[in-house]
Amino acid sequence: MIPAILRAQFLSMRGLRRGSSRRGAIFSLLIAAGWYGFWAMVGFSVYGVTADPSMRPLVEQWLSPSLLVVFLYWQLAPLLTASFGASLDLRKLLAYPVPRGKLFTVEVLLRVTTAFEMLLVLAGAFTGLLLNPIHGGWTVLPALAATLLLFVLFNLLLAAGLRSLLERLLSLKRVRELMVLLLVMALASPRLLVSAGVPLHRYQQFLSPAAGWFWPWTAAGRAMLGQDIAVGFLVLAAWAGGAWLFGRRQFARSLRFDAQAAAASSLREGRPRVGGMVERLYRLPGLFLPDPLAAIVEKELRALSRTPRFRTVFIMGFTFGLLVWLPLITGRSGVRQSVMTEHFLVVVSLYAFSMLGQVSYWNAFGFDRTAAQVWFSLPVPVSRALAGKNLAAALFILLEVAAITAVCLALRVPIPAARILEAFLVTPVAALYMLSVGNLSSVNFPRAMDPDRVSQGGGANRFQGLLFLVYPLALLPILLAYAGRYVFESELLFYAIMAFAAALGVAVYWIAMESAVKTAWVRREQIIAELSKTAGPVVTD
Amino acid sequence: MESPAIVVTELRKVYGNKAAVDGLSLTVPRGCFYGFLGPNGAGKSTTIRMLTGLIPPDSGSIEILGMPMPGQEIEIKKRIGLVPDESLLFDRLTGAEFLEFVGRMYGLARAVAAERARALLALFELDENRKLIGEYSKGMRKRAAMAAALIHHPDLFLMDEPFEGVDAVGARLMKDILLDQVRRGATIFLTSHVLEVVERLCDRVAIINEGKIVVEGSMADLRSGTETLEDVFVRVVGAEHAYTPLDWL
Repeated sequence: MIPAILRAQFLSMRGLRRGSSRRGAIFSLLIAAGWYGFWAMVGFSVYGVTADPSMRPLVEQWLSPSLLVVFLYWQLAPLLTASFGASLDLRKLLAYPVPRGKLFTVEVLLRVTTAFEMLLVLAGAFTGLLLNPIHGGWTVLPALAATLLLFVLFNLLLAAGLRSLLERLLSLKRVRELMVLLLVMALASPRLLVSAGVPLHRYQQFLSPAAGWFWPWTAAGRAMLGQDIAVGFLVLAAWAGGAWLFGRRQFARSLRFDAQAAAASSLREGRPRVGGMVERLYRLPGLFLPDPLAAIVEKELRALSRTPRFRTVFIMGFTFGLLVWLPLITGRSGVRQSVMTEHFLVVVSLYAFSMLGQVSYWNAFGFDRTAAQVWFSLPVPVSRALAGKNLAAALFILLEVAAITAVCLALRVPIPAARILEAFLVTPVAALYMLSVGNLSSVNFPRAMDPDRVSQGGGANRFQGLLFLVYPLALLPILLAYAGRYVFESELLFYAIMAFAAALGVAVYWIAMESAVKTAWVRREQIIAELSKTAGPVVTD
Repeated sequence: MESPAIVVTELRKVYGNKAAVDGLSLTVPRGCFYGFLGPNGAGKSTTIRMLTGLIPPDSGSIEILGMPMPGQEIEIKKRIGLVPDESLLFDRLTGAEFLEFVGRMYGLARAVAAERARALLALFELDENRKLIGEYSKGMRKRAAMAAALIHHPDLFLMDEPFEGVDAVGARLMKDILLDQVRRGATIFLTSHVLEVVERLCDRVAIINEGKIVVEGSMADLRSGTETLEDVFVRVVGAEHAYTPLDWL
């Protein structure tokens, strides 16, 4: 049965690829090569360090903390990137008489997809330690291999359980946003502990291999270095057993979960109230814009604000996005005065803006799915559709900056009024460039997104990785403005370059729009086909 | 003299090495209820998608309401009411919001669009609890799509399986509305697998198979003797072979 499921998925993926353009396939290949090439280099560097006998003290000190990083990446990367990788689409498979145990096995194996990068890193450490003569050479192969296997198994089982738990919780009415906030708090907990005055050295217990063997990363680290191998095995086996119980239980509960009822709840949750305040806000664009642009902006505002995935990312922007950067401006005695503090609001706003991209401007037609045909069958040029979607995204971006500002002020982060204005100036200028790139990516690489799958992002892990390379390029004019300010210490120069960046941004936006419209018209058939595609028995988020 | 509603000449669309539509030519007169039939995969939906400009033909020409497609596609789209096979509905809007949106896309003033949306929702019995479209049943979605196709009072309706998934009451209502539209001078170009419905509603019928029209004419022309439309259909698409039971079934 497992081969049948995997074969169906392979055939589905082959079918999806067959329908894609060669350009898209090459692009995907290049991104994959870049992303995994980078991690292969990291793995090779790890190999270099662990294979070098002179590095033994360093390896002893840092192996366990590194394994903790691997563990955190494996378990938390899906949250940070809002992407859970591939998983079984239970709605499609439950109709068949497949034993639950087998489904769980496939689900566990699929957890490799969330952190294949970490396997490359672990492979580097494994090879390095194996070839390090001080460490024991080939004689340690069985112990080393068994330790790593147990550590990987523990991560896979735990990731499978967490995935089932989170996806179920994130599907529940009103729990979704609360869950995101709880996760944010959990991720920020070390920072909060420091703020609460807990000494930092307490944390070292969890990291140092000399401090104990209780944690899976310390047990694995010690066993990999040939210390307390038997104890390390037992501890790791216990953790893996616990993870198996947790994973099985959560998976079984997901099998019994009534996704349809939850989806209906999520829809009822978004059911609008007649004549409410929100309704009046939706209608605001109509006061300033002519139809059909106003109608498109209104439609986007309504649809996006009722889409769980979008709402979750929007909330993450001013909660998680803020907490990610907060440690950079705070010390033991509170907020430090630094260049980072001065530009904190701009940095967080741009970060939140980049997060919104995956559910809005990078893949503007993603949530429309098959209904995207509307944009080609109505008597309205595609440029209006894109402009309307961009305007709606820009409004949400400004709302996000306002929310971040409010939270910063509530947390008493010292941000001068001038810097607040600067954030509201810089973000829209940045938006011109990012929306330009977004319009091109929306028509060249469209991808259907399920609004009910809160875990699903607008692109795969590696695509999001590539976006981080695109940002500096797209934001170059703005970076130049800041460089000008600090080299010449001139506010006038800063605003002059920003004005130039804005003018250039308008030109870039206009050119990109022309190109996107031409591409959309030529590729309309492929765009509709891409947005109408459904996956096989495994869904990739 | 008024031009026909649809004139298609030597239309061709190829996917890979298979011609989905292969040299199709037809003329649909104005004010006609036209049935466009064919087995699964015959090229019906592809033809409708080319007529609406959703996909470009590889060769051939299309003229709708006297205007060439492509060339005057915006003008053509303004006068077409489309009910496609797949949903064109935005799940996160209510029926009222969606219909008002579509009306405004067709150039209606907001107040007019909102008023017509209300009237259509009442007509199609879709106004309960301001449901989001995502909560609609399949039949309700079809009724909403039909309402959206009517809101701008088009001259030509292009409908791909409009009765699929609609209950008997809804189908009756839709048929009455369509017949009324034809009486008022509109043209309807419809595909359906429900041949009894086509037989009852349509003035003319074309049957397409493997991308080519195999027969075209009025109902009276098509049927000989006591033949039903189903008999004609099965005969002309060459599917008259008998059912051979499987041993294990």
